[in-house]
Amino acid sequence: MKDRITLRALKWLQRAFVLLSLGLLVSLPPVAHAAETTGTAKTTQYKGLDQQAQSLKKEVMELNRDLLALEEELLFPASTQVAVFVSMDIGSLFELDAVEVKLDDKVVAHYLYTQREIEALRRGGVHRLYLGNLRVGKHELVAFFTGKGPHGRDYRRGATLEFEKQTEPRYIELQIRDVTRNLQPEFRVKEWQ
Amino acid sequence: MHRRPLTHKTRLTALVAVLCACAVLGAGAYGSARRNESQQVKDPHYGEVLFNFYQQQYFSAITNLLTAQQFQRINHHRDEAELLLGGMYLSYGQHIQAGEIFQRLIDAGAAPEIRDRAWFYLAKIRYQRGYLAEAGDAISRIHDALPGELEEERQLLQAQLLMDRQDYRQAAQVLARMRGQSVWAQYGHYNLGVALIKAGDSVAGTALLEEVGGQPAADEELKSLKDKANVALGYAFLRDAAPARAQARLEQVRLDGLLSNKALLGIGWAHSAQNQNEQSLIPWTELQKRNVIDSAVQEALLALPYALGRLGAYQQSLQQYETAITVYTNEMARIDSSMTAIRSGKMVDAILQHDSTNEMGWFWRMRAVPDAPESRYLIHLMAGHDFQEALKNYRDLRFLTHNLDYWTNNIGIYGDMLATRRLAYAQRLPRVLQDERSRNFAELPAQRDRYAAELARIENTDDVMGLANDKEQQLLARLSKAESALKRLSGHADISASQDKHRLLHGLLFWDVSSEYRPRLWQARKDLKTLDRNLAETQSRREALMRAQVDVPKTFENFAARIVQLRGRISQLQSRVQAMSSAHGHYLEELAITELATQKERLAAYLTQARFAIAQMYDEASNAGRGAK
Repeated sequence: MKDRITLRALKWLQRAFVLLSLGLLVSLPPVAHAAETTGTAKTTQYKGLDQQAQSLKKEVMELNRDLLALEEELLFPASTQVAVFVSMDIGSLFELDAVEVKLDDKVVAHYLYTQREIEALRRGGVHRLYLGNLRVGKHELVAFFTGKGPHGRDYRRGATLEFEKQTEPRYIELQIRDVTRNLQPEFRVKEWQ
Repeated sequence: MHRRPLTHKTRLTALVAVLCACAVLGAGAYGSARRNESQQVKDPHYGEVLFNFYQQQYFSAITNLLTAQQFQRINHHRDEAELLLGGMYLSYGQHIQAGEIFQRLIDAGAAPEIRDRAWFYLAKIRYQRGYLAEAGDAISRIHDALPGELEEERQLLQAQLLMDRQDYRQAAQVLARMRGQSVWAQYGHYNLGVALIKAGDSVAGTALLEEVGGQPAADEELKSLKDKANVALGYAFLRDAAPARAQARLEQVRLDGLLSNKALLGIGWAHSAQNQNEQSLIPWTELQKRNVIDSAVQEALLALPYALGRLGAYQQSLQQYETAITVYTNEMARIDSSMTAIRSGKMVDAILQHDSTNEMGWFWRMRAVPDAPESRYLIHLMAGHDFQEALKNYRDLRFLTHNLDYWTNNIGIYGDMLATRRLAYAQRLPRVLQDERSRNFAELPAQRDRYAAELARIENTDDVMGLANDKEQQLLARLSKAESALKRLSGHADISASQDKHRLLHGLLFWDVSSEYRPRLWQARKDLKTLDRNLAETQSRREALMRAQVDVPKTFENFAARIVQLRGRISQLQSRVQAMSSAHGHYLEELAITELATQKERLAAYLTQARFAIAQMYDEASNAGRGAK
């Protein structure tokens, strides 16, 4: 009798084994179709959401564009606008720490650069350091660059520009360049026309 | 088919960003150093966009670029800016806009290498977002081989798309062309094996998987791939009733890898199929000690009493079934609690609670699962594209909410600022007009004309004394008086000496004035010119003032109207972003709930089987008892 029980139990357990094996195999690559049906339905639902989200993001970006334009026109009208940019060409001879800008003997900007920002400058990015207003007429800009020069020495250099502000916006670029001839950094101020 | 796992994606993020930048900017155009003049930034505002872009501040870079385009400040970089914008839209997950831009540029004749890269990245993001047909369309537009490992990645993606369409034969052909030794190529070999098996060529497919599963692996990624190949092979052999081959494959899987549970379970079944029931107890007993949320562990809870039963240890088998029932019941209760927690809407915010809201973008990846009870059931789900892509959108929408909040505050400030300016203008204008009236500016041209006429008369008549200065005029007046007095005294006294003296002084004065006449005439003409200039400036300012009285209120009106319109747009977008965030939150919750429901269903099936097994055993025992009587 015991043998009969064992035999019947085994028969049932063999059925269970088949079920268990199939249950496990569903998650493996060769029989992955069962899960894909649900996935497709979800994907269709998600595509709708994604398209709406993209459309919203586009609208918000356009709104930001219009708001930035309003902000600039309101706070820095073209007739009085002056912008100061900082750029770096190669920049291997000077490790920039900070830039200070004086307009007509008044400090208008002092900026400490992070390593990430310096890397962005080295790759060709241009940082808008200052945006402000100036009356029409003659003005003087003085920029101070501080950092480490060749051989890790502390370095502080200045550059000056006298310029005439007209009724158009005035863009000024503070350039940091490597001069390979004498292995020294060079600091220049350029007026954009 | 296998998609590369999360860990590698994180590492890829930076690489893809750089490649994407190169794709849109032209290879090396903005490398670590600008080497020649033609690569210089020609518009500072374009440089400013790059400054943000290189710091992966894509939203700021895009909005700066759009603003610069609106003000026409980047005319020297028109085409590059469009390419960059397309690339940034891609980085930002905006593949629809990116696609439109790339298509436009390609139609306009973009360089082939840029065109092919653009289509590749577009295909990749479309695939990840579930746009399979669109991804297939993009990848079909790539004409030439991409550089380096990118080509292998393209082949892998193309094969994945074909396998998604169940075109395994075509996928196998694509994968068979992969020749490199990169990690992509290894994935290619694995997928080729799977594709061949699915296409019906199980011999070749198995051989390829055996090759992947048998080769030495140096890094974690390749070790995982090797494990995956061996597990796939092991179960394929088990299904084909080749337990010894299955065991050999499964025993090569690492004991501490992600697939170790599945491998242990399979090893148990391989022993069992070879009637090595005692050996099958070893891996299954080990599995019992492991985390029960794993399906292999759950299955092992049933497999173990099965093996004990086969060994005749019915009492222990019964106990193990009862243990399994307890575990399944507890797990199902935990899953129910997790479902309730997820439905309360806190899951997504918990995932993003330590995430910065400063930027947004497609390259972002979830770095850690939240410390919540439900997380342990959802790790697999959270690593998948469906969840990740929806989560990225949710995160981006959260960023937009902050952005719109910022502008709500600022637009209020600008409104106040405008109101203050209007008030100041209204207060100042009457004062300025009063000042203008008091200065009688209208009379100035007539006065100037009189002055010019007098100067002309002096010049035409050579009226030297007309240019005498005040002191000289006084002296002339005194001499005139003296002359009158001398005339009155004439005939009454000897005034000849005085007359001589008068003549001498008058002559001296005339001499002095005459000698200064030419310089004074020149100076007078110069003064007239200065006066004309000043008058013109005054006139211009008066006209500006007149214009300002018309224009300034119009400007104020224009700003006010823009502020009202923009405020409306902000408010409307805030509502829509809020609704879209909720929709994404619900979608993510639904994904999680579905996943938990699947897990619960599996546990319920195991529970039923365990109960049935116990009932069956009692039934058999009862029948045996009756038979014995």
